[in-house]
Amino acid sequence: MTSINDIRTKIKLEDTELLNTTSTNFPGNYPGYDDRLNLEEFKKKLQIQILNLNDTTTEFDIIGTDASITNAFRRILIAELPSMAIEKVHITENSSVLPDDVLAHRLGLIPLRADARLFVDKAPGDTRECEEDTLIFKLKVICKKNPKAIADGNDDPKNLYINSSVYTEHMEWIPIGNQATKYKVEDIGPVFNDILIVKLRPGQEIDLKLVCHKGIGRDHAKFSPVCTASYRLMPEIILKEPIYDQDAEELQKCFTQGVIELEDDKNGRRRAVVAKPRLDMCSREALRHPEFKDCIELNKIRDHFIFSIESAGAVPPDQLFIDAIKLLMSKCDRLLQEIDGNTNN
Amino acid sequence: MNAPATFESFLLLDGERKIIVEKDSKVPNAVVFTISKEDHTLANMLRAQLLKDPKVIFAGYKIPHPLENKVILRVQTASHEYSAVNAMENAIKDLIFEMDMLEDRVKSAIANRQSAE
Repeated sequence: MTSINDIRTKIKLEDTELLNTTSTNFPGNYPGYDDRLNLEEFKKKLQIQILNLNDTTTEFDIIGTDASITNAFRRILIAELPSMAIEKVHITENSSVLPDDVLAHRLGLIPLRADARLFVDKAPGDTRECEEDTLIFKLKVICKKNPKAIADGNDDPKNLYINSSVYTEHMEWIPIGNQATKYKVEDIGPVFNDILIVKLRPGQEIDLKLVCHKGIGRDHAKFSPVCTASYRLMPEIILKEPIYDQDAEELQKCFTQGVIELEDDKNGRRRAVVAKPRLDMCSREALRHPEFKDCIELNKIRDHFIFSIESAGAVPPDQLFIDAIKLLMSKCDRLLQEIDGNTNN
Repeated sequence: MNAPATFESFLLLDGERKIIVEKDSKVPNAVVFTISKEDHTLANMLRAQLLKDPKVIFAGYKIPHPLENKVILRVQTASHEYSAVNAMENAIKDLIFEMDMLEDRVKSAIANRQSAE
């Protein structure tokens, strides 16, 4: 039988269903448990463990919070942290095969290496181009025949034509106002220089002015500063009775590689042990095997989140997470002030 | 075609208030908060936090329509000495405290990692 403690702290994976998926640890729900908010207790339980961290990705554990808080961070990272993206494209010439609107949409999705925290928001409908809120790029490419083309039947467009492919490296930053002194050339530009924008053939030309604004993911997904921000719960695998040899190998195959390891015991038999439950993708394959069904238990720990952030390139992921916390705090502050203001009236 | 402008989901319109606090006339000690330009991010977090308060007997939220950018959060407390507005204020303060702590922990974890490298 599942104990009350298990119901409160774990999600149970069954072969056809998941049990105890929602948090139920609220005051009055379980006799004998004091579930009121205890900040001292929270302080003791809260843990952050960083597993890996580099310029673009991070994975860390958040232990001891409720899913509502973790989910708020995820949602804020995706939809509410600002970033810069191309918002308007002024087209002087576009004789490429891509229609203007399709080309403009492609350009909008290019991730830019510009720290949005250094810029201010632009009011909707404001068309002025100020140094504090706008970045301008020029993209002017003309495709020509290559006079030095090697004529040995090599029909590679890169050999036959000059500028047959337009890449993000062709984008040229035009500083406005004090931007030339405020930012270094290497700080502003596309994150990658080899993103293909459009292909041209001799006689075709594009001549565009790209206007970038600051925005948030709720407005358009191109403004999201993360590629992905997601969390999953820590899996827990319990072997209720020892599993040996042939069965152990079968069990190992049921899980993601590395989750179950085989260990030699004193009697010279190979015994299955749970090595790295973190790696498990929770396929529940083992529960389909009648021989394992009753001797294993699969759970997920409700307050242990494995959070992963992949940055789009402008801001490192650890900084993004700190920004997300700050943004959520300012949201709460704002609400508190508004409630005070409202009830005093 | 007739979709509302996307910025309407996060910019307050002229004269629009961020939060409207109304007493629920049907049951005692209940208050309905209508928060404009917010969504599940904040509302679900507040709901979970309010439920942690033993004097709160009901806390729940809804988003009345996906095109209306507002949430309606209803809170009822056990007695009139501790009103729903008090409960809400406490919940927000606790949340700010928790986030403050989380920020500290994250920063020290990052610092530890960088010093270890």
